[in-house]
Amino acid sequence: MAIQQWLVAQLAEVLSIDPSTIEAQQPLTRYGLDSIDAVTLVGDLEDWLDLELPSTLLWDYPTVEKAASYLVEEFDVSV
Amino acid sequence: MEQLKQYNLAQQLEADLGDPRDRTQRMSFAQTAAIDESEVFPDAEIAWLYDYGLQDYYVPTSSGGQFTSFEEFVAFVRVLSRRDLNIAIAFTTMFWSFLTWMAGTESQKQTLSQRMRQEHLTMCLAYSEKEHGSDLVGGSVTATKVDGGYRLNGEKWPINRATISGLTYVLARTDPDGGNRGLSLFMVDKSQLDPSTYYNLPKIKTHGIRAADMSGIGFSDCFVPDSMLLGPEGHGLELALEGFQITRALCAAFSQGAADTCLRTTLNFAVNRQVYGKTVVDMPHARRTLTHAFLDILTCDCVNIAAARGFHVVPEQFSVWSAVDKYFVPVTLEQMMSDVSVVLGARFYMRDEHDSGVFQKMLRDSSIISVFDGSSVVNLHALILQRRQLAKARKRLKPEKMTAIYQRLARSFSLESPLPEFAPQKLELFSRGADDIPQGLPLLIEDLETMHGDGAPAVLTDVIELTKIILAQLDAQDEVIAQSAFEHGHEQSYESFELAKQYCRLHAAAACIYMWRYNRQHLGEFFNQGEWLVLCVHRLLSHFDVPLNPIPLEFYENVFQELLRLDREDKMFSIVPFQLARSTSTPPDTENHATASKLQLI
Repeated sequence: MAIQQWLVAQLAEVLSIDPSTIEAQQPLTRYGLDSIDAVTLVGDLEDWLDLELPSTLLWDYPTVEKAASYLVEEFDVSV
Repeated sequence: MEQLKQYNLAQQLEADLGDPRDRTQRMSFAQTAAIDESEVFPDAEIAWLYDYGLQDYYVPTSSGGQFTSFEEFVAFVRVLSRRDLNIAIAFTTMFWSFLTWMAGTESQKQTLSQRMRQEHLTMCLAYSEKEHGSDLVGGSVTATKVDGGYRLNGEKWPINRATISGLTYVLARTDPDGGNRGLSLFMVDKSQLDPSTYYNLPKIKTHGIRAADMSGIGFSDCFVPDSMLLGPEGHGLELALEGFQITRALCAAFSQGAADTCLRTTLNFAVNRQVYGKTVVDMPHARRTLTHAFLDILTCDCVNIAAARGFHVVPEQFSVWSAVDKYFVPVTLEQMMSDVSVVLGARFYMRDEHDSGVFQKMLRDSSIISVFDGSSVVNLHALILQRRQLAKARKRLKPEKMTAIYQRLARSFSLESPLPEFAPQKLELFSRGADDIPQGLPLLIEDLETMHGDGAPAVLTDVIELTKIILAQLDAQDEVIAQSAFEHGHEQSYESFELAKQYCRLHAAAACIYMWRYNRQHLGEFFNQGEWLVLCVHRLLSHFDVPLNPIPLEFYENVFQELLRLDREDKMFSIVPFQLARSTSTPPDTENHATASKLQLI
């Protein structure tokens, strides 16, 4: 899913790690993303998708997989 | 100048408390010095404030209290703080009740309101833990779900008023695997607990606010009923961070009260002190130092009064505004107090000389303000994380949005403009790139340019020039931010922190100009003339690598004369110089040369 790939690419850049090490089912905290970082990243998501999203999206859906399916289901996001 | 009604309460409280230099008055410098030396919690003084009914002003009118605006709130907190930070801070822990006004059920609100107003219930905030500091998510206090409630375990430390308070807001982990959604907030009413299941930790000896109840609280299988959960389970971190947005901005008022006293007591010394055949205040260095201190107070006033009002207008931007305010005001005023201590000389260090040693006490007491409720580093960090968004949003602002920004700025800054009711549910964890203060600058410049013509203030050209410099500096900073490497987490560079400080200075400089723009007509002639404004903005921009026009020396002298006038008339050192308690003629505990009447001055 393209949005999953985007999230992975973005996270990899943010956390300066190799995208291939990010697993979609792992909680983002495992990659060093703390609570406020996760909120900040929602801002990037909003910019990219041109949507207003809940600031706690990545707290509620704390893996790439969960966040991606939430965006698809709630906002009909497709890329 | 007509009195703004939001300052009536502060002014009345001043009159009722009396001159703090008069040792016979309640909460006088002499009395609070004795409390400080005793290190005993000021029960009688706190009781007096309850009898006065001040607790009602911590409870919104919608919940049966008298709180209507943060502008009024910060004004009366300054009145308390200029006397004694120990009392001001101990009483004002009640501002944590905003967590309940923000997230409580109607029943929780009604109960809390009734108990605060009638039973004098107060609260503390139990977030910090000995091993985890400000890392809230890393905390180890747990709340395990059981039938009808939760069982709390663990210790919170250091907590102001942990022992002498009836209600404790406790942040605890309800889901070990829940990450950021695994924390919940409880409003724990101690009167309903089994006393054998909680305990208090000993009083902590501190550098300042020595009479505070700085202690801690521990829980051992302590049952709390479901009714004590605040907001939904798992929403504790969100509520905690939003609650901080409120209290951080209010903390600045503590610093402002302390700064007023430090400057006032030093000024009184300097106008009476003779050395080398001269009065200290006539020596250029002392005079300029005192003038700078007054300018710093005025700058902080513009920032903090705007923030107090902004809560009502743009609560969704407070992840930014509050961080700026909480960093800028306490740190600026700490530096100001340190600068001014030179004029007071050795007496700044003495615990009973000159106004009962109030200077050293204020210095000690206030030094915690930039640390509690999120330290300077925490606030700058919060700004750094949003800085890229702020830069991007400013770049893509559309004209129709600009108009709305400018309308909001008018409401945030015009002190005569009525404020909407505070809507805490509109607070947001991040501002989505919005900060009206820098974003409104292009329209502010256009607006100032229309003021040219008959009756235009003499400083207008200077003010426009300075506003353009602020905007240019902001553009340059945004450019740096846009090009910089993406930094997250707690790996931010030292340079990022320096840039965040500069952002705060630009925000503050812009706030001064808006304040002048919107209140020229009704804050008196000194305010209208704007020489103070040129000096304040100049002082902030001196931290930037930019050439500035020289300032006419008479600006400094005129500002200094205003400072003397406010002191002579016992008015608050403020852009809203409301009436303080009148000085009693002969402060009894000062040295002979210091008792000479202030009337000699002018």
